[in-house]
Amino acid sequence: MARPHELSRRRFLRGVGLSGAAIRIGLPSLEAMFNASGTAYAAEAGLPARPIETRFVVWFNGNGIIEKYWIPREDGADYEMTPCLQPLARFRQDIHVLSGVDNPAARLPGPGNGHHNSMSGLVAGEMFSGRGAGGPSIDQVIARQIGDNSRFRSLQIGVCQESFGESIQRNMSWAARDRPLPPEMLPHRLFDRLFGSKEQYWIERKKSILDAVSDEAQALRSELGHGDQQRLEEFLTSVRSLERSVASLPPEYAQVVEQPPEGGDLKDWPRIAKLQTDLLVHALASRQTRVASYMLTKCQGLSRFPWLGYTYERHHEYTHGRVESPEGQRTMRDICRWHVEEFAYLVARLKSIPEGDGTLLDHTCALYIHEHAEANSHKNAGLAMIVAGHAGKMKTGLHTRVTGTVGDLYLTLAEEVVGAPIGGFPTGEKKLTEIV
Amino acid sequence: MAGASGQATRAVDESFFAEKLYPVLHAVQCERCHNDNGVASETRLEFPEPDVGQDQIRAFGLSLLDLVDRKDPEQSLLLRKPTKRVKHTGGQRIKPDSDEEKALLTWINYLAGLSDEQVREARVRIARAEQRGLSALTVRRLTHSQYNHTVRDLLGDQIQPASSFPKEDFINGFKNQLEGQGVSPLQAEAYSKAAERLALAAFRGGDHHRLIPRQPDSPTDAGSVDEFVRQFGLRAFRRPLTDGEVRGYSALFLREAGRTKEFNAGATMVVEAMLQSPHFLFRVERGAGSPDAPYAIASRLSYFLWDTMPGDDLLRAAGKGELSTVKQIEAEARRMLDDPRARVAMEEFLAQWLRFDRVLEATRDRRRFREYNGEVAAAMVEETRRLFDHLVWDDQNFMEFFTADYTFVSADLARLYDLPAPAEEFAKVEYPADSGRSGVLGHGSFLVLTSKPAETSPTARGLFIRNQFLAHEIPPPPAGVNTVLPAVTENAPMTNRKRLAIHLNSESCSGCHRLIDPIGLAFEKYNAIGAFQQKMVLQFPGPRGDAARGRKPTTMEVDVDTSGYIQGMEESEFSTPRELGRLLAQSKTCQRAVVKQLFRYAFGRHETLTDQPVIDALLERFRDSGFRFRELIVALVTSEPFLQRGSG
Repeated sequence: MARPHELSRRRFLRGVGLSGAAIRIGLPSLEAMFNASGTAYAAEAGLPARPIETRFVVWFNGNGIIEKYWIPREDGADYEMTPCLQPLARFRQDIHVLSGVDNPAARLPGPGNGHHNSMSGLVAGEMFSGRGAGGPSIDQVIARQIGDNSRFRSLQIGVCQESFGESIQRNMSWAARDRPLPPEMLPHRLFDRLFGSKEQYWIERKKSILDAVSDEAQALRSELGHGDQQRLEEFLTSVRSLERSVASLPPEYAQVVEQPPEGGDLKDWPRIAKLQTDLLVHALASRQTRVASYMLTKCQGLSRFPWLGYTYERHHEYTHGRVESPEGQRTMRDICRWHVEEFAYLVARLKSIPEGDGTLLDHTCALYIHEHAEANSHKNAGLAMIVAGHAGKMKTGLHTRVTGTVGDLYLTLAEEVVGAPIGGFPTGEKKLTEIV
Repeated sequence: MAGASGQATRAVDESFFAEKLYPVLHAVQCERCHNDNGVASETRLEFPEPDVGQDQIRAFGLSLLDLVDRKDPEQSLLLRKPTKRVKHTGGQRIKPDSDEEKALLTWINYLAGLSDEQVREARVRIARAEQRGLSALTVRRLTHSQYNHTVRDLLGDQIQPASSFPKEDFINGFKNQLEGQGVSPLQAEAYSKAAERLALAAFRGGDHHRLIPRQPDSPTDAGSVDEFVRQFGLRAFRRPLTDGEVRGYSALFLREAGRTKEFNAGATMVVEAMLQSPHFLFRVERGAGSPDAPYAIASRLSYFLWDTMPGDDLLRAAGKGELSTVKQIEAEARRMLDDPRARVAMEEFLAQWLRFDRVLEATRDRRRFREYNGEVAAAMVEETRRLFDHLVWDDQNFMEFFTADYTFVSADLARLYDLPAPAEEFAKVEYPADSGRSGVLGHGSFLVLTSKPAETSPTARGLFIRNQFLAHEIPPPPAGVNTVLPAVTENAPMTNRKRLAIHLNSESCSGCHRLIDPIGLAFEKYNAIGAFQQKMVLQFPGPRGDAARGRKPTTMEVDVDTSGYIQGMEESEFSTPRELGRLLAQSKTCQRAVVKQLFRYAFGRHETLTDQPVIDALLERFRDSGFRFRELIVALVTSEPFLQRGSG
């Protein structure tokens, strides 16, 4: 590989006015950062070469699918692309289609309406608390292991907003039991968060204010009773993570990442989805975070689909009612295919960004999950999923019917693919050796 | 039975209940119905909150004495009900001759074998366990609407920054519940950005809102700085600043003003910092004994009654000790209730209680309901709001919310309800004598919210009435159960009553659906957009999407039977919303539900066992006043938990 000049990470970071914290931020596709073969970062004086870090994205869709239009009939490498999976046809060798994944926590006796409990079991492997997820979600468990050196320990990004409004329906990432991490829904705000350019003076000022706020919160926390202490602790944690992310990115970013417009139709979900995906990919490429969740539609979501010609009902209603009729099935097929289309866009973008001797996709594990298998019956056994990317030891080019739980899958992906030693995950008992 | 009792007589001690039996009862989910908000709340069995301590659980085990027949233990209701040897609405929870039954019988025998002296001791312990202190002090975050109102009153800023914060989630039926008041990193960032924007705007082009009490001699005039920090701090933190706080903020001020040589720059810095302080974002209370207690009362009154920060006069009253006696507080509350801001605050309660957000977001199948659109939905919400405002602020009997034989409609709504057009937009109109509508039960807001895009849902209607108007929590369908109803086709036309029969004929569904569906089925003459229809109209539209355009749907009409009843309530048969309205208005459970809902909204939490006497007392005052909502509010703000008195 031709390398015009050596550029160390340290030198590169000088454009970033961070106050103190050791955070790496880079420009995407900057070849000079990598070693001669492109397989790792260039070694710096006195330090061994560091491998290129893996990224983890969990991508979620509310409601379920029509299994016959989604899950391939054949196992192994020669499966036929189903109507819903068609948008991923050209990425066949970059993905692994999974079916048969069980979500047993969704069936524990407890509160919830068939969506709440599936959601909690799906993201956290725990029973719905009656208010929110019963524990931390998989992205947060992984972020705890690999997120500490990034500007953002993790990112939460969302697209469609229509929902019934309950906490468990509007959030997929949970810092802990009943502690939702809401997604950023608006592209221009996400851009500002990630790539906003600020003056050094602004950074110092922000820092001094946040220092004062932290001090006050700490003093106050010690005066309070247990439950209130926890609330203050959470506030303090959030202020600290804000402090850590206060930074200004070098102006070079303006050439790489286009600022999304503030206006336009903010309910044109296919447009918003792509803007959000672009920003997500740039955030991963520039190493601002290694872990992200992306909520295309809400749990038990109520999106409308004017671009598909379906406007009489909303997403959740299309999954019940007349869904068993031929036209009801076709409607759901088209809706599910749109979801896969948006995921295919993410895969395409990850693959378009060179990194080292390959692309960003080579260092990413992007997991696509649904709330249910068959939608109408709220089926939470035999879930169908997609893993995209070549991080770690992930096998691709296959459809595999696994025997295992969401916990088994997450444990496998975290430890064998992402390289995050999470040790275990609720409902997980074994690793799925057939996929890695 | 003989075998079961034979094995069950072995000696046990008191720990048996908490260790062995309680987990069994928990697993078969008795507490789902047998709790204060459960559908079996009026029986003699009431489980404690799930998260109580061991002492409470032990005391609860002893309290089961009342359900034990000490002379003939096997005849105890505690045994015969859950095994369904006698009628039990919750069905058979424990199988006869199972290990679970043996455990239950062991405990029954233990209780039956207690001596009179032991029973007396047990009763003392039960009473002691129930006498827990008032719940701990809490720190509540400003709700988004309180944040908007507060920065409006504090800075004169109308931009409503909280409208772009991450949305608040519904928990326990409201958006202001403690459990939902965490601050995520995204929320912290939103607070930080809003503070920056608000602080800049506050002094842009000068001190337009008179935030600076004394004009400074120089950018770092210490006297002016001190006065500004104290005065603005008092309003931002809703209490006087401590000396340490004054020092800290003054230093921040002076550093910035010194650097920029501008007094206003220092002030901007202080405003930006204070707007991110936990003392601004949270309402921190230190209890009745603290020197700030009168200020805490001022905040509580103001945020509940006006949904905003206390004004200068209220803060002044707190400072002068004029919020000390119940009488003073009541007088203050009555004065505040006469202000239009009280209306706005209570409308927020109404909007959340009746889930106006869902009405406004509802979609109807446009092929069937061409007359329905967003404006009609908005008019429906307005209709309900007008009835509420009329009852609350004109001091009417609030139970008319369910029985009013009049309503407030726009021309669109009048057409939809087949009423004479109103003289002006949103005028009061009487229902015709033969109308089945009454109160909110006849309103489009309720009827639309509980329907699907193309059809009604008796289940959703019954559930909404249980949850919202009876404060009953109904257990969800067992996990993994197929909840799909039989499809209605041209070859198999059927009413919802017939479709829902599947619920009532199934052992696993009927226990709960008997509590829900028979209420909703009485509304079947009101369609998915709230219009009256003598017969149920089935429509088979053909293919969805573009292909269907222009194709005429087939319709079919079927007779409907609207007889209904409220399971668990004596003599509760009805067949129109009007008849149900009368039942609800007279039902103590419904009256108590109104009190509970306001309690939950006011305190931002679910009531607990220790709140029950308070709720009973509130209900009594509500009833004695002839159900004047204003009196209920006054009773609430002068109650012990609101004043944080009692346990000390």
